Amino acid sequence: MADNYLTDGYTLASWLTTRDHKRIALLYFAAITTFFFVGGAAATLIRLELATAQGDLVSDDTYNRLFTAHGVIMVWLFLIPSIPSALGNFLMPMMIGARDLAFPRLNLASWYIYVAGGVMIITALFLGGVDTGWTFYTPFSTLFSNSHVVLTLLGVFVVGFSSILTGLNFIVTVHTMRAPGLTWFRLPLFVWANYATSLILVLATPVLAMTLVLLAIERIFQVGIFNPALGGDPLLFQHLFWFYSHPAVYIMILPAMGVASEIIPCFARRPVFGYRFMAYAILGIAIIGFLVWGHHMFVSGQSVYASLVFSLLSFLVAIPSAIKVFNWTATLYKGSIRFSAPMLYALGFVGLFTIGGLTGLYLASLALDVHLTDTYFVVAHFHYIMVGGSVMAYFGGVHFWWPKISGRMYPEIWGKVAAVIVFVGFNLTFFPQYLLGVQGMPRRYHAYPDEFTVLNVLSSAGASILAVGYLLPLAYLAWSIFRGERATSNPWRATGLEWQTASPPPTENFEHPPEVTREPYDYRPEGEIAPP
Amino acid sequence: MITLPVAPQFSTEIQQHRAATLGMWVFLATELMFFGPLFLGYGYGRLHLSDAFAAGSRETDVVLGTVNTGILLTSSFFVANAVDALERGAHRFAAIMLHAAIALGIAFLAIKGIEYSNDWQEGLFPGAGSALPKGEQYFFLLYFAMTGLHAAHLIIGIAILLAFAVALGRVADPVSLSARLRVAGLYWHFVDAVWIFLYPILYLVERSG
Amino acid sequence: MKHRKPPVRRNAVILAVLLLLLAASVGSAYLRLGVWNSAANLTIAAVKALLVAVFFMHLRDASALVRMTAAVALFMLAVLFGLSATDYRNRADDPAPWQMPRQLSGAQWGQSSW
Repeated sequence: MADNYLTDGYTLASWLTTRDHKRIALLYFAAITTFFFVGGAAATLIRLELATAQGDLVSDDTYNRLFTAHGVIMVWLFLIPSIPSALGNFLMPMMIGARDLAFPRLNLASWYIYVAGGVMIITALFLGGVDTGWTFYTPFSTLFSNSHVVLTLLGVFVVGFSSILTGLNFIVTVHTMRAPGLTWFRLPLFVWANYATSLILVLATPVLAMTLVLLAIERIFQVGIFNPALGGDPLLFQHLFWFYSHPAVYIMILPAMGVASEIIPCFARRPVFGYRFMAYAILGIAIIGFLVWGHHMFVSGQSVYASLVFSLLSFLVAIPSAIKVFNWTATLYKGSIRFSAPMLYALGFVGLFTIGGLTGLYLASLALDVHLTDTYFVVAHFHYIMVGGSVMAYFGGVHFWWPKISGRMYPEIWGKVAAVIVFVGFNLTFFPQYLLGVQGMPRRYHAYPDEFTVLNVLSSAGASILAVGYLLPLAYLAWSIFRGERATSNPWRATGLEWQTASPPPTENFEHPPEVTREPYDYRPEGEIAPP
Repeated sequence: MITLPVAPQFSTEIQQHRAATLGMWVFLATELMFFGPLFLGYGYGRLHLSDAFAAGSRETDVVLGTVNTGILLTSSFFVANAVDALERGAHRFAAIMLHAAIALGIAFLAIKGIEYSNDWQEGLFPGAGSALPKGEQYFFLLYFAMTGLHAAHLIIGIAILLAFAVALGRVADPVSLSARLRVAGLYWHFVDAVWIFLYPILYLVERSG
Repeated sequence: MKHRKPPVRRNAVILAVLLLLLAASVGSAYLRLGVWNSAANLTIAAVKALLVAVFFMHLRDASALVRMTAAVALFMLAVLFGLSATDYRNRADDPAPWQMPRQLSGAQWGQSSW
């Protein structure tokens, strides 16, 4: 077998001191997978508790710590780094024909920083956790909570810096290291998506960092700008927190959209419909996404005028998202569609993201939000997008690029089975939650009135199916590393520079720096000859 | 003229320099957003606690603050000279300029230390047990947070300049460091620019009484 | 690199202007200009920062990309302030009729943990 990045050094040290973006991507992959299952364990306990109307599995205080742990781990330790740091780190340089990212040592540093932050958060968890919710609202987090707030804040602060460095690296790389001939409008949409995500990472995350520092100072020194008794304003915290945390959800969805835009054209054998609009829509989502944060604060006491402005802007952000959904769908038209596992995940992504996105519009309507806020409707909405959307796209991407990353094919039948199980389990888990929310069940409650039992039981049952769907790939992907069929350089016959090199790729990615002369997504029906 | 080797991920030195420059500017953008919430918190306080902010600002030492501002502006002048000089080949003059900037940076920190110590004597620190009225505690929280964060960045800046000053004396071809010094200088100027805004909002509020 | 004058001379002129602006800033602060004191000081600060950015930070000869980076950062700050302002400018600053005693006294050491 020819030398590749996996065989280029077998010691632990060669992995822990690597500058190779592909190895760093795998380091991230290992860490985020671990954190995914820790966050999933918290979710399991939550759904077990909620299977019965009484609070009988854990105390209310423990329940608060569980959903906080679930939120903090899933948002910061899993979703935000998942596609950019595991898939993006691996693919971005290859997709632009570069040998590595602009700052390889910074890339490795960002992984160590990420792990350090993760260790802090998990340590806080083992010490008893934190009960404020992942949103850390004041004054509870600063004055009243008796849990490990400061340690958790510190952990999140540290993880935030890791993501800033990743974003910085991506921005500089895409601007300065594209191969000859690779103009912006020849870039794969995955690159556009991660680039836009990186803009959000570098501009929004520092605001969160400072906000968490101010929170910690307020808690430790009993001073503060968020305490009305001292002249401060609790809504100031919310403005600052959501200034980051709303764009953060676009950090979580944009890369997923990028993945979908790579998979769907490939398995429909059609170029993506409306490539330029897809690129503009990505930028539009990133930009408008910075302008809507107040929709998390409609009932907080924010001025009605501001709520109106934010509501209107929130409606606007749906437009570029809708354009993308239409274009993915149009890409399928007259295509030669194969329902391989990545395609199942990608199509599932489009459908579930659409449902989640539409329900976002319900929440963006001021009057409806008064009824729906802090209910399970919100919980269902964001899980449809983050789990039905981002996680499905992440799994789709992992499957799609698995041959490139590992040099092996996963067993296709199991891939399909897992995708279907995830789709069924997901809908059974989260669709009932929309109904629960409309009926008024509040979120973050460990017990509920009997009338909500049936839907909760359905949801918990769905969660058990979903768990199976997530554990299966862990098993068969691991199996494929040792026993999987060896992959060719381009088993999917996909376009894109990453497929022009071996699977797994050599350390320097390309034997000779490639030159790009063709438009992206140059898929054609079988038998059609490419123009000269 | 021997230049520093180009890192393997880059094809040319120009590409490397473009990447380093853009990287520093993007980093400075993150730093600006990092200071952002402090400015927003200040803005809120200035609007809603205007009397307390005026009172608090009058307690700051405007003489030391003004002198410090002049010091930082001059240090930026020295750093700009150092960068220009090194690019022209005048590496000894560049080293002198760097040492001058470092000296001024240390002077700034020393004066800041004196200010903090005076503030402590006068009971201007906020927090549990403070005798300050609540609104002024808010002001001083921001005062210490903003100047403290700024000072931390200044310390890093001094360390960076020191590293360059030392390297200019050590490496065989000091002029090869000019591209990197240009990028590092951006950081120093940014720290100066932040202070340019901190000074009036902390020291000059309602001085006319 | 374009140098119309020797760079030290040009930098010295910029420094002189900066120090003059500093004098104007502190000087005007002692004049009774009401709300114009703040406006003057912030404007002067903005001019000083612009001079540092354009001349010392070489934005004058920088690529469009670098200039865009600086502009985008400033724009984001403006968004943070501006949209928050839509809340603060349209909301009365009425204190709550009743505050929890613990909120007024602040947390005590020992009862909350790190």
